[in-house]
Amino acid sequence: MAADITATIMDASGKPIVDAVVAFYDGKTTALPAGAGARIVQKNKLFNPRITVVQTGSKINFPNEDTVRHHVYSFSPAKKFELKLYSGVPTDPLVFDQAGVVTLGCNIHDSMVGYIYIVDTPFFAKTDDKGKATLKLSNGQYSYQAWQPGQTKPGAEQKITIEGATEVKITL
Amino acid sequence: MIQFKHIRSRIAFTFLTVVVAIQLAGLIPLKYALDKHANQLAEEQINVGERVFVSLLQHNTQSLKQATQVLAADFAFREAVATNDAETIESALESYQGRIHAQVAYYISNRDDLVIGTADNQTALFGPNAKVDAMQAIVDNQSGMLKFDIVDGKPYQLITVPVKAPDVIGWIVMGFAVDGRLASQIKQLTHLDVAFVQKTPQHDWQLISGTADHALSNLLVKTVADVYRQKMSLHRVDFNDQSYHLKIRSLHQAGDEALLVVLQGSVEPFIQDLSLLFKSMILLTLVGVCILAALIWYVSRKTTEPIAALVKEADYIAMGDYDKEIQVNSIDEIGHLAKALNSMREAVLQRTLRIQRLAFNDELTGLSNRLAFIQGVHQALLTHAESKQKLSVIVINIHRFKPINQTLGRDFGDDLLRHVGQVLKQNVLGEHDMVARLDADEFAVMLQHTDQAQATRYADKLLHVFEQPVSVQGQAIDVRTGIGISLYPDHGMNEEALLNHAETALQESKAKKSPWIVYNTALEIDQSETLTLISDLKEAIQQDQLLLYIQPKIDVKTRRALGGEALIRWVHPEKGMIFPDQFIPFAEQTGIISDITNWMLLRACQVLAGFRKQGLDITLAVNLSTRDLNNMELPEQIAHLLSSHGLDAKALKLEITEGSLMQDPERAELVVKKLAAMGLHLAIDDFGTGYSSLAYLRQLPVQELKIDRSFVMFMDKNSGDASIVKSTIDLAHNLGLIVVAEGIENEFVLNQLARLGCNEGQGYFIGKPMPEKDFSVWLQRWEGQNEIDIDIGDDLSYAINPLDVEVQKDPFKLDYLN
Repeated sequence: MAADITATIMDASGKPIVDAVVAFYDGKTTALPAGAGARIVQKNKLFNPRITVVQTGSKINFPNEDTVRHHVYSFSPAKKFELKLYSGVPTDPLVFDQAGVVTLGCNIHDSMVGYIYIVDTPFFAKTDDKGKATLKLSNGQYSYQAWQPGQTKPGAEQKITIEGATEVKITL
Repeated sequence: MIQFKHIRSRIAFTFLTVVVAIQLAGLIPLKYALDKHANQLAEEQINVGERVFVSLLQHNTQSLKQATQVLAADFAFREAVATNDAETIESALESYQGRIHAQVAYYISNRDDLVIGTADNQTALFGPNAKVDAMQAIVDNQSGMLKFDIVDGKPYQLITVPVKAPDVIGWIVMGFAVDGRLASQIKQLTHLDVAFVQKTPQHDWQLISGTADHALSNLLVKTVADVYRQKMSLHRVDFNDQSYHLKIRSLHQAGDEALLVVLQGSVEPFIQDLSLLFKSMILLTLVGVCILAALIWYVSRKTTEPIAALVKEADYIAMGDYDKEIQVNSIDEIGHLAKALNSMREAVLQRTLRIQRLAFNDELTGLSNRLAFIQGVHQALLTHAESKQKLSVIVINIHRFKPINQTLGRDFGDDLLRHVGQVLKQNVLGEHDMVARLDADEFAVMLQHTDQAQATRYADKLLHVFEQPVSVQGQAIDVRTGIGISLYPDHGMNEEALLNHAETALQESKAKKSPWIVYNTALEIDQSETLTLISDLKEAIQQDQLLLYIQPKIDVKTRRALGGEALIRWVHPEKGMIFPDQFIPFAEQTGIISDITNWMLLRACQVLAGFRKQGLDITLAVNLSTRDLNNMELPEQIAHLLSSHGLDAKALKLEITEGSLMQDPERAELVVKKLAAMGLHLAIDDFGTGYSSLAYLRQLPVQELKIDRSFVMFMDKNSGDASIVKSTIDLAHNLGLIVVAEGIENEFVLNQLARLGCNEGQGYFIGKPMPEKDFSVWLQRWEGQNEIDIDIGDDLSYAINPLDVEVQKDPFKLDYLN
């Protein structure tokens, strides 16, 4: 029995946060769905999407759609990598198999910042421009965490029991 | 008010005062303005300096920041930071710190309070407040402010830049020491001295570094403390006689800590520049004033020079120098003044010359006057005193000048005087000799370097000249002179004495009828002798030492004897015969004259009475003196005498001189009128020698006029004398007076007088004065043989004249000296 979950993420002053991420954990190990992956396109000297959420073990490709070359790097402990000056689509996508936050930067373009949030669950969602994220969960016991860019660690873990459609309010 | 000796000084002073005042009026505000300007410049300099300083710091900060940013952006460094490789981070910081000359460098991680710094600053950086300080620095820096801080007691400028990967993962902080290097750098750009002063909780205010000298910087520390307390930013401080403007700016302030930068601008350079300008101004002013002073002096001198010249000329005039004519060079007021001075000088000169002429010249003769003569002698005596030579003063008098003047006219008299003057002048001995007219008819001659022999030779020469009648206005007139001579040094040491003595000698010459007389002391009658004579005279009257002499008088026409003039003689028991002129003047003065007159009147009455007894009807004339004419009792006394001797008033004649009438005219007139009323016959004696006019005499009840002998004696040789006698006779007759001529010395004159209508006469030709008994004999003889010259023996043969001079004038005349 699936239930609709709506999570509203706000900052301390009650303002809704856009592109914040919420992830729910059911305590069971869920295998990565086959072919699960993502693309983070560099276009107009921006990472698009700026915030990418993936399940652990997902492959992400970094196609460069700009005419200039980029040097994408990450010093984050969750995944340290470096795609030295390239253009076009790199031959191999990168596998992100450790949960955590990876901050993406371009060594050429200091203004380019992107984030990859790697979670150990298939249940996650990003807030829209009203700070709302929606997902479908089966009824049961869950714990959840919220995160927003700039935060080096996810917010406090909360426990929740889902029984039908539920609305969750999270303050970061 | 200042008194000026010269107008030009006044002009110069006034103008210079004004000029100096104007200059001062300009200079004083200028000085004030320059001082103010210097301060303004100094202030401006310090303000500019401050801006430069701020901009320098900003620039420094910017470049340091950029340098630090280079490190922060370094991929390898970021990788080291991202991987928390502390050793690598530290060594990177160390090497970079050295490269950009920072003294402090450290990295602060924002994730896990990781702080990595260079070894030197470990203590400070890892102190309890390290985190807070660092965070604060970060915040401040992000707001774009300059960040200064005191780390471990030392001031630093802190530069903080973020390390991005690409999010900010930490901060690099670079610290640059605030030290002498920075101060020098600031000074180089601002030209201001710079000092950094700080205060920490551990230390009070202290100087970190400064470009100014140590003493000044130390002074600043104290000042700054005060200024900081009062929250002022601008201040002025005086040090070593120099003014400094201070600009204080706080670089860091936190709690008890403070770091200040003090910019010091000295006013001195500006003051020096401006005071140089001011000095130049003063110099220019001085030069200007000097030039102006010279100009004013020159102009005022040019203006007043002619005045000064005129003053000088006026001084010359004042000193009596009139000869120099004042040059008139201009047509302005000065020229007018010069002209006026010239006219004045001319007028004064003329007046002075005239006064001199009047003062020293005799206008009539052109000769010197008495004053000039006395001065001339005085001058001459000075040279003679040196040379010890003799000098003669000769006084010459013209006999009978008054009647000549009166009868022949003043013009005639004037011409005569001029003539005599010329004669005297022509005969002087040397060119320095001097001829002067002393009085109406009295001349004086000074002969220099002459002894007595030369002086008398001159006198003789004059006499020789005057032996010939003088021709004046076509008329010959006989000039008779009296001459008195005195000699320097024999008769006097000064001009007064010489002139007085010469005049005494002249009197003697006149009296003695001597052509000339040289003064000798015997001419002065000794005062003591005079006193003796006076007392003797009293005795003489009582002891009958006086004698009555009679000089006969005849009718000129019929030659009949009429009587005589009673004269007095004193036979002194010791001195022998004494002439009236030696005792009558003193008798007059002492009043004894009254006794003498009484004696004379008595004796005359006795003699007349005696003749009456013999049947001789003759008259006797007695002389009355001045004192007698003032004796109101005289008429009564005479009346008594006459009646006691049985005589009528006609027998006695009374002779009075003009002079005796003049003493007290009113009283004399009373007495005379009384006597006339008694029927007494009154005669004016010596007419022609006095000053009275016939008009005056007419008022008096006189019947007779006696012409002075000096006119009669030479009338046979001298036409002038004859004219005088003739006109006197005519005038007297017109007034109804009988005329008696004295001094008939020859028959020719007697006949001449008869022709002129003269009534009576007396003189040596008729008879000399003789004693009473001889007169009887003379009468008999004269009546018997008219033509025979009667020699009755001159009484002078036994006269003992103290002067031993032959008496030519009738010595018996009582009033001769009146």
